[in-house]
Amino acid sequence: MLEVNDIVTAYGKIEALKGVSLSVPEGQITVLLGPNGAGKTTTLMSVAGLLKPKRGSVTFEGQDITGRQPGTIVQRGIALVPENRLVFPDMNVHDNLKTGAYVRNDNEIESDIESIYERFPRLKERYHQHAGTLSGGEQQMLAVARALMARPKLMLMDEPSLGLAPMIVEEIFRIIHDLNQEGTSIFLVEQNANMALKIAHQFYLLEQGLVTFSGTPGDMDENEVIQRAYLGTTA
Amino acid sequence: MIDFIQNTLDGITIGAGYALLAIGFTLIFGVLRRLNLAYGPSIMIGVFLGTFIYLHFDAGWLPVAIATVIGAILAGIYVERMCFWAIKEGAALASMVSTFAIWMQLEELVTVIFPERTYKFPTLGEMDYLEFAGLEMRAEHLIMLGIAVLMVGLLHVLLYRTRFGLSVRAVSENPAAARFMGINTGRVIFRAFILASAIGGVAGFLLVATDPTVTPKFGLQATFKGLIAMMLGGMGSIPGAIAGGVLLGIVERHMQAEFGAIMRDMAAYALLFLFLIFRPGGIMAQGVAAREAAALRRV
Repeated sequence: MLEVNDIVTAYGKIEALKGVSLSVPEGQITVLLGPNGAGKTTTLMSVAGLLKPKRGSVTFEGQDITGRQPGTIVQRGIALVPENRLVFPDMNVHDNLKTGAYVRNDNEIESDIESIYERFPRLKERYHQHAGTLSGGEQQMLAVARALMARPKLMLMDEPSLGLAPMIVEEIFRIIHDLNQEGTSIFLVEQNANMALKIAHQFYLLEQGLVTFSGTPGDMDENEVIQRAYLGTTA
Repeated sequence: MIDFIQNTLDGITIGAGYALLAIGFTLIFGVLRRLNLAYGPSIMIGVFLGTFIYLHFDAGWLPVAIATVIGAILAGIYVERMCFWAIKEGAALASMVSTFAIWMQLEELVTVIFPERTYKFPTLGEMDYLEFAGLEMRAEHLIMLGIAVLMVGLLHVLLYRTRFGLSVRAVSENPAAARFMGINTGRVIFRAFILASAIGGVAGFLLVATDPTVTPKFGLQATFKGLIAMMLGGMGSIPGAIAGGVLLGIVERHMQAEFGAIMRDMAAYALLFLFLIFRPGGIMAQGVAAREAAALRRV
């Protein structure tokens, strides 16, 4: 579904990705693990059109989307749940959801919001509250719901467990699992290797801007995965 | 007592004009997080275009008003392209300094084309004073107040009921998150600039039409009044801009009545200093400044 072919993405002269290739098959959960600074977020940004790769290509459903505008990419069916959630704090929950549907111009947006509320009753209870007043877990839920408003075929998720209590993390992962069961493909970036491997169909290990391993969760000893995901091979 | 109420009433009217200026400032600051000092001078371009139409075609107030708004929009686009689009984000200081340069440029342009010191501007017509319970109000002041209230109402609908408004609010709150939603932030900024310039054009027309002389110093006055009113209210907050504008108008009018015209501007600066020292976030003390402080705490 999503093919990333040998992309190089740089911040000025520093290459954060030094030729990353990976593929996200339709209907699956693909996890990208790796230590801080390995280039995980940069990979997502390069897919979502927020960073332009210097080299290489990104194709989605067989079409080249390298360097396209973020709006075009969302319209094609790729939505992003950003790191740290980034909900709009002074907007109420309802308006936050509407921003997720910004690229759409059909008239089913309000009915989609209703089904979001059925799925996340906590958001319905707080629909008129400013997002900044929600708890961390509720904000994460809102960030996921907001991305769903784009009706994505593929969801990019950047560390959804970051800064959340273990119980909330489990809930978020259950939501991710459910979404996938309903047919949304997931490309998940995580530090929490433990949790991520439980729901992953396949995973990649990214270290210092290069993919150093790819396989299914059973392919590598879990302790080694965890060590490399947190610390990298050099440790 | 009756004088006090009368002065307050007059202050509110002038303050409505300042409030519109401050709203324009705050809209631009909201989406850009950068200060546009050339906002007043670009409104001045509109005012001079209005004067030009008035003097050469003997036009009535409506064509002059339209010309003023168009002139302000065109100058606003010029400022946006030069100081904000061409200079990339992150270089906030470079943008601000360049708006100062454009300010000087626009002022120079006007003094070359219009060499005399003052020019006439149409009034909203010969109108009577309205009297009520010993208070009086110039009819054109009442019109000015009415238009300002109408503008605020329209702006509220635009910001809270339309897709464009949603995108402006999203970019003001978090430009990165707005981009993630597929919002083209550059386009939103450009359109917000046009909107702010149009509001500024209306404010400029109203302020000049109630005091029908035009000078190249109008740009300076508009920038100062708008900037002070915005900072009194709280940067990036529209309710704050309204409150700041009205407060500034009232204080100015009282100071003028008590101590004469010289004290009027002194009072405006003194008020700003008091706020910067004792309530730096402004009356609303939320808006962008407080939000950024809160964001830092969360991280």
